[in-house]
Amino acid sequence: MTSVLSPALEMIGISKSFPGVRALEDVSFECRPGEVHAICGENGAGKSTLMKILGGIYRPDGGEIRIKGQPASFAHPVEARRAGIGIIHQELSLLPDRSVAENIVLGAEPTRRGVLDRTAMRAGAREILARLQSSIEVDARAGDLSLAEQQMVEIAKALASKPSILVMDEPTAALDDSEASRLLDLVRRLRRDSVAVVYVSHRMPEIAAISDRVTVLKDGRKVLTDRTEAMPTGRLVRCMVGRDLEEFFPPRGAADGGVLLQVNEGGNATISDINLTVRRGEVVGVAGLEGAGKSALARAIFGDRPFTRGTMQLNGQPFAPRSSRDGIRAGVGFLPDDRKREGLALGQSLRDNAALTLRAFARALALPSAGAMGNLTLDQRLRALDVRAARFDDPIRLLSGGNQQKVIIARWLARDPQLLIFAEPTRGIDVAAKAAIYAIIRDLANRGRGILMISSDLPEVVGVSDRVVVMHEGRIVGECPSGASEEDVMALAVGHGGSVAEPASACGS
Amino acid sequence: MTLALQPARRRHRAFSVPLLLFIGSAALYLCAALWTQSLNQLSAEGIVGLLQRTVALGTVALGQTLVILCASIDLSVGSMISVGAVLASFIMRGAPAMMVPAVLVVLLVAAGVGAINGLVIAKLKVSPLIATLGSGLILQGVLSSGFNNFAGSVPPAFQAVAYGAIGPLPWSVLGLGLLALGVSWLLRSTRFGAHLYAVGGNAAGARLAGIRTDRVIVQAHTLCSLFAGLTGLYLASRLRSGAPWVGRDGVYDLESIAVVVIGGTMLAGGRGGVWGTIAGVLLFAVIDASFNMLGVPAFPKQVIRGAIVIAAVAVYSLRNKGHVA
Repeated sequence: MTSVLSPALEMIGISKSFPGVRALEDVSFECRPGEVHAICGENGAGKSTLMKILGGIYRPDGGEIRIKGQPASFAHPVEARRAGIGIIHQELSLLPDRSVAENIVLGAEPTRRGVLDRTAMRAGAREILARLQSSIEVDARAGDLSLAEQQMVEIAKALASKPSILVMDEPTAALDDSEASRLLDLVRRLRRDSVAVVYVSHRMPEIAAISDRVTVLKDGRKVLTDRTEAMPTGRLVRCMVGRDLEEFFPPRGAADGGVLLQVNEGGNATISDINLTVRRGEVVGVAGLEGAGKSALARAIFGDRPFTRGTMQLNGQPFAPRSSRDGIRAGVGFLPDDRKREGLALGQSLRDNAALTLRAFARALALPSAGAMGNLTLDQRLRALDVRAARFDDPIRLLSGGNQQKVIIARWLARDPQLLIFAEPTRGIDVAAKAAIYAIIRDLANRGRGILMISSDLPEVVGVSDRVVVMHEGRIVGECPSGASEEDVMALAVGHGGSVAEPASACGS
Repeated sequence: MTLALQPARRRHRAFSVPLLLFIGSAALYLCAALWTQSLNQLSAEGIVGLLQRTVALGTVALGQTLVILCASIDLSVGSMISVGAVLASFIMRGAPAMMVPAVLVVLLVAAGVGAINGLVIAKLKVSPLIATLGSGLILQGVLSSGFNNFAGSVPPAFQAVAYGAIGPLPWSVLGLGLLALGVSWLLRSTRFGAHLYAVGGNAAGARLAGIRTDRVIVQAHTLCSLFAGLTGLYLASRLRSGAPWVGRDGVYDLESIAVVVIGGTMLAGGRGGVWGTIAGVLLFAVIDASFNMLGVPAFPKQVIRGAIVIAAVAVYSLRNKGHVA
């Protein structure tokens, strides 16, 4: 390359407003070829807006984009793509009914004399997946893939246009640690190939491991840009939230309550030989790789996809829910991992969302705002959980992930469940809101409820839980006491921690 | 460290919906013919007669398949068919010299109506249900203000479209076959086809992938209306003249949607294809023919059709349950 690398991408003084919100104000940064430039900030800091402007989805109100020194403006995503910008979007946008190959080449299908060239299509897709060291089959239906595999396809899709500038918006959000580390290897290889990588992430260790420079955004403004070596995690977090995070994980309680939930030899099509106990006052973490059966376990206990074998007891009573309604009636609450699709009525207000379960169990002729479903009670409950919104009758889609999650918690607390199952409670939620969610989870346990927390986020599951049970291929393969290391949990999760046939072997040495 | 841990994946070997429908239709037809001893229905002539009944609905339904695949819908096809039929016979007035201009005018008008439908849906963001319901009403209104009965006539040369044949095979049936092959090729082997599935499957994702989704919707609607225009031409030829009620009487708008759905194309878009639609059309024709043979009045026939539509959609939804990402 030539002497001092000139920037591949410059964004200069970018501003963008939405009705009522100043999303970005005078934000500038640049990224050189072969550089990984991390953009971080809390949710709502403006990262995604900035990336959407770069991708041609939004047009900036002010400022300039330069590609290799040339001013550029994009009216449609296709123009950004032609300028050499590839974007891996945070939300999955695959076509579930189309093949992996068709998804990867979407929008840039190879043709020969106007006719789709399927051979070239599959070969190209295969080559990109090979670069990603992924064994996903190009003829598989995208909808049959696991979430993590879908994320891989999404990444392959962005690489298909051979971008000179690659934007990765929270690319590891749906990946477990081994997949995430493979992805980071790929980023290093791209850097060697002189691709300019803009890396948007919440995950501090990743930013430290992969990036050359960091730009921190807060409330739509740039706080600073600095070399990553000069930004230890503490300083980074301080810049992002504007204060120290004294206590990220709340102190553990003294779990001496009686047994709340007991599962004996539970199993169904996806999971088997499940033996599990949750005590009152206890947070039990469930760890495992994507596809290990964590989510199936949660849904089986809740009754959504019930156990077909084995028995359960809740509070000493036999408990055999056949539907989620059964589970709720018996005192179980479930917070799904896919908030947008399964947790929320996005277009409805905060209050409506908070009243959802109450209304589901209200008498047939009850007014929708009768009794505990009245605005006063609902608002009280939302305020108790520190839900931050301009108005409680705004549609919930306007809220950040953390506040949405709090509304879902409020919905369950209205039923006063004894057992709460959290699935990926902080997926896509920013650092400060994560701490708030952890505090709420611990507080619920301290008030005598039992908590089951399914999580792919190792620091989280180790930091919050009193005990971690680890799943692998549909079975519980071990259990780690509080204070176990992430490595211990990982060893079990990949199937290296003792015999798979023996459930609940003790962890580590 | 690279870990190659792929969760075991269930393979769903999907049964072929079109094939199943074809076999079912054939079996039903055979049973009805044997049961009623109407063996002449099984002769080449009888079967050709059956196939001829699929031409009009089949042609509209091909267009309807395209718009439904991109998660849109077209309720204006019935009125468009009437417009096509009336316009054709009105311009021809029995004169063979006017055949080509008449056909061109009909196709031009149809393409225009389709393009407007598409633009209203894509640019003005009007729900396709409302946009095409509205445009259908407008077309019907304009037509009714000018015509209230058969208008003009088509020359015998044009009647050959519906009545002519090479050997035992009528032109019209051959034409439908070629159209179906063409649309199938369009869907499978062109970018337009790939983009149509993309827009129907995930419009936002398609846009992010750089597809100009608005264009795809306009193109699909233009083609759909063109197919309705062709159907109008065919009906004018078959009825020897066009009347403003031919489209409405055939219930082509709702029946075309019904056969598309029976054929396994999702109303929500993104999945399906031509052969399912053709099989659905055949099934409807076979039900008609069988009930005629059995001497059952028209009323229960409608009941059966309705039940089939509902049953088909129920089967598809149940089959997809738990395997939608």
